[in-house]
Amino acid sequence: MAATFFGEVVKAPCRAGTEDEEEEDERKKETPEDREVRRQLARKREVQLLRRQTDTSLEVSLLEKYSCSKFIIAIGGNAVAFLSSFVMNSGVWEEVGCAKLWNEWCRTTDSAHLSPSEAFCVFYHQKCNPSVFLCQCSCYVAEDQQYQWLEKVFGSCPRKNMQITILTCRHVTDYKTSECTGSLPSPFLKALKTQNFRGRVCCSLLEQPNIVHDLPAAVLSYCQVWKIPAVLYLCYTDVMKLDLITVEAFKPILSSRSLKGLVKNIPQSTEILKKLMTANEIQSNIYT
Amino acid sequence: MASRYDRAITVFSPDGHLFQVEYAQEAVKKGSTAVGIRGTNIVVLGVEKKSVAKLQDERTVRKICALDDHVCMAFAGLTADARVVINRARVECQSHKLTVEDPVTVEYITRFIATLKQKYTQSNGRRPFGISALIVGFDDDGIPRLYQTDPSGTYHAWKANAIGRSAKTVREFLEKNYTEEAIANDNEAIKLAIRALLEVVQSGGKNIELAIIRRNQPLKMFSAKEIELQVTEIEREKEDAEKKKSKKTV
Repeated sequence: MAATFFGEVVKAPCRAGTEDEEEEDERKKETPEDREVRRQLARKREVQLLRRQTDTSLEVSLLEKYSCSKFIIAIGGNAVAFLSSFVMNSGVWEEVGCAKLWNEWCRTTDSAHLSPSEAFCVFYHQKCNPSVFLCQCSCYVAEDQQYQWLEKVFGSCPRKNMQITILTCRHVTDYKTSECTGSLPSPFLKALKTQNFRGRVCCSLLEQPNIVHDLPAAVLSYCQVWKIPAVLYLCYTDVMKLDLITVEAFKPILSSRSLKGLVKNIPQSTEILKKLMTANEIQSNIYT
Repeated sequence: MASRYDRAITVFSPDGHLFQVEYAQEAVKKGSTAVGIRGTNIVVLGVEKKSVAKLQDERTVRKICALDDHVCMAFAGLTADARVVINRARVECQSHKLTVEDPVTVEYITRFIATLKQKYTQSNGRRPFGISALIVGFDDDGIPRLYQTDPSGTYHAWKANAIGRSAKTVREFLEKNYTEEAIANDNEAIKLAIRALLEVVQSGGKNIELAIIRRNQPLKMFSAKEIELQVTEIEREKEDAEKKKSKKTV
C-alpha cells in the first residue's frame, strides 16, 4: 500500500508475484456451473457474419468469398454518414453481408431499414465493380471481439493486393498536443498508414504520442502485420454525435485515389447529407 | 494524470490545471453559436436557433434574454445553468436600481455574473456553471458595451466575439471582417452579425435569431421576416461581388 499527498491510500503493484498464485488457486475452485456460464458468455459474444436476407452465416470469411481490390471501412456515426452521402449515393451498391454481435455497449440491430442512430455493421460491394467493398460500422466492437471480426472479414490468410481505407472519429480532447485544445481548429483530419501504403495521404500524419484505439487500430495493426497497404483517416472533433461540420471534415479524402472514382455528384451529396442530419437530429434540451 | 485531479473542483493538478473548469468549457462548445458585435451606435446579438421539437413551444427555447431594459445577454452551454444565472442577474439589476436609484452599468452586471461563476469554481460540493455569456448594452454615458464571461469566472470587453460550437470559425471571420466601415452604420453592423453566423449555421436565415439595442432604445428582437430580408440582401451583395470579381479576371 502507498499513501499519496492527499492522504488517499492506493494499492501499489506488487513485484513479488504473490497475486498470480492467488488467482490460480481461485481458478482451480471453478465449478462446472461457472464453466458453463463462461461458455455461454463466450457464445453470446461471438461475432457472426451473415446474409441478412436469408439469415444464414457466411461459410468462409468475406474477403475469401469475394475478391477485393479496394475496401473502405467507416467506423462511427459521422464516418458512416460521410460514406452514405458521398459514396453510396453515387452508384449502386449491393449488400453482401452484415456482422451480428453483442457486447455490454451495443447490440447490433436486425431491421432492414437502418438509421444512423442504430448500431449496425453492414458490408456492400459496388454492382458495376464487385471488387470494391464498403463497410459501414456504427456499433462498438469490444476488445475481445475485434480479432474475431478481423478473421470473419479478412480471413486467416488475407490477400495483399488490395488497398484498405479506414475512416473514423475521435474526440479532440484525446488529441495530445502542447497547444491548448481550445485553440485547435477542430474538426481536423490526421492520417496513419501501414508500411506498405505507397499512395498520397490527404492530410498530415498523426504525430506521436497520439495513438489509435478500438476497431480502427485493430484493422490497421492487422494490415501492418499482413503487409496490406492501408491508411486510416482519423477526424478529431468536439462533437461526437452526428454533426454536419464533422462529416464535412472528411471531404479532403474525396480527392484520394481510393475514393476518386467512386464519388460523382458532390453538391447533391451535400444536400443528401443535410437531409440526413435534419431527419436524425435528437431533440435534447440540455444544451442551448 | 488528469483522472487523479479532475474529480474535485477545489483540487489543482500539479501543472496548475483546474480540470473541472476546463471540462465546463467543453460543455459550452456543445451549445449552438452566439455572436456579439459592438457597433458605433448599436449592439447586436445573433444566435443560431436550435431546431425545436414539433410539439415544443418555440417561445420557451430562447438564447437571448433581457437582463434589464438596457442590457441583454446571449449564452451557450447548459440550459438549466443559464436559467439560474439569468435569474440571479435580473434580481441583481433590480436590487441595484432600488438601492442606488441608478440602472446597472453593463460592466457591473458582467462583473456580478463573473463573480458568481468564480465562486462556484472554489466551493466544495459544487461544480462550475457550464455556460459562457455575451452581455451587451448601453451605459448612461451612451457608450455601447460588449462583454464575454466564461465558466472560470473571467470577463473581458470585446469589439466582437462568438461563443458556442464553431466559435473559432466565427471569430476568425470577425477578425477578418470587423472594420470601421463594417460597423459604420447600424445596418452594416447587423449584416456583419448575420454574415458571421451564416458561416456556420445550417439552412441559412431560418435558423438565426437576432436582437439589437440602439442608444436610448429598448431591446428589439428581429422577426423571421426581417432576418430573411437581411439574408436576401447579403446574398445579393455576395452575388454582385462575385460578378465583379469574374469580370475583373476576364
